[in-house]
Amino acid sequence: MIMVDNGVTVPGRVSEDDRRARIAGLVSAARDGHPEAVSELVSELTPVLWQVARATGLGAADAEDVIQTVWMSLLSHLEGIRTPAALTAWLVITTRREAWRVKKADRKQSPADQEWLIAVPDPRPGSEESVITADEYRQLWAAFLTLPQRCQELLRIVAFVPRPDYDEVAATLHMPRGSVGPTRGRCLDKLRTALGPEEGIR
Amino acid sequence: MIADDAGLIGAIREVFESVDPMPADLPERIRFAIALRDLDAELARFASESDEAAIAVRGMEESRTITFDSDSLTIMIRIDGNADGTVRVDGWLAPAQAGRVEMRRVDNSIAVTADEAGRFAFLSVPRGTARLIVGLLGEGSNGRPNGEKSVITPALILLAAE
Repeated sequence: MIMVDNGVTVPGRVSEDDRRARIAGLVSAARDGHPEAVSELVSELTPVLWQVARATGLGAADAEDVIQTVWMSLLSHLEGIRTPAALTAWLVITTRREAWRVKKADRKQSPADQEWLIAVPDPRPGSEESVITADEYRQLWAAFLTLPQRCQELLRIVAFVPRPDYDEVAATLHMPRGSVGPTRGRCLDKLRTALGPEEGIR
Repeated sequence: MIADDAGLIGAIREVFESVDPMPADLPERIRFAIALRDLDAELARFASESDEAAIAVRGMEESRTITFDSDSLTIMIRIDGNADGTVRVDGWLAPAQAGRVEMRRVDNSIAVTADEAGRFAFLSVPRGTARLIVGLLGEGSNGRPNGEKSVITPALILLAAE
C-alpha cells in the first residue's frame, strides 16, 4: 500500500483506517484463540517482516527461519498486545533483534544470499500504479546503495512499516549503538544528496 | 516526480518489492507451522530423493507413486489426473491400519477414512499445495491405544493434467 503525499491512498487499495480497524479486530480475535485470525495476520504482516529480516543482511533461508520463530513466539505474547501498532512494533522489533542475533552467530553468509544487492531492479509490470518512472527507479537504487548500512536498514524498514504504526517502532530503530543513531530524516537527506540536485527524484 | 518524504519512502518500498520480494509461499508455510504447533505430529519424509524432486506432481501424463517414511508409518500415494482437471489421490498406509487421513490445504481441508487394510482415496481434489495428516487410532506396541497419534507429510504440489 503506497501512501501518496497528501495521505490519500492509491485508488483501489484499502484505506489506512480500514486496515487498522480490520487488524484491530484480528488481534482481538487471535487473542480469543481464533486460528483464522492468526492466519490473516500472517498474510498481512509477513511481507513486512521479510524486509525487516533481510535488511539486516541475513540470508534468505535464515530470514525465513527467523520469521517463523517470531510468529511462533508471538502466539505466547498475544495477551499483552492490544493495538495494531503494538502488534506491528512487537513483530518488527522482535524480528530485527532475532535476525541480528542469527546473523552474528553465523558470520559466513553465502554471497548468493546477498544477490539482491547487485541486482539491477527492473520496473515492475503494471507500472501505471508505480509512483516513479523507470529512470527514477534506477537512480534511486544506485543512490540507496551508497548510503551507510544503518541508513539502508532504517529506510528499508521505514518503507514497509505502516505509517501509523511507525512511531511505536521508531524509538528502538533510532537507538544509537555506541554512536549517534541515524534518524529517518537524516537518512532521507543523505539519500537526496546522493540522488543529486538535477535528478528526477527531488 | 517525488517531492516529499512519503513519496521517496514509497519509491524505496517499490524498489525492494521488486529486488528482494518475500517468497510467495512463506506465509503459507508459517500458517502451516502454526497449525501444527499443538498437534503432536511426527514428520514423514520423502523415502527417496527422486520422490523429493517430484513434489510437483502432474497428473495424467505422469501417474506416479510417492512414498513417505516416518518412524512409525509408511505412506504411499499415487496421483492421477481426472478428466475434469482435478486430481485423484490413492493411498496406502503401512503397516496396514485404519485411520483418518486429512488433506490439508491453504484454505480448507478434506478428510477421508483409511480402511483396515490402510487404503484411502481422495477422488477429486483441486490442484494446489497440500499436505497429508494421518491420524492413527490403533493400539500401540504395548497393547494400549496410541491415542491421536499423527503423521504429517511435507507439502506436495498437486498439478492437474493440462
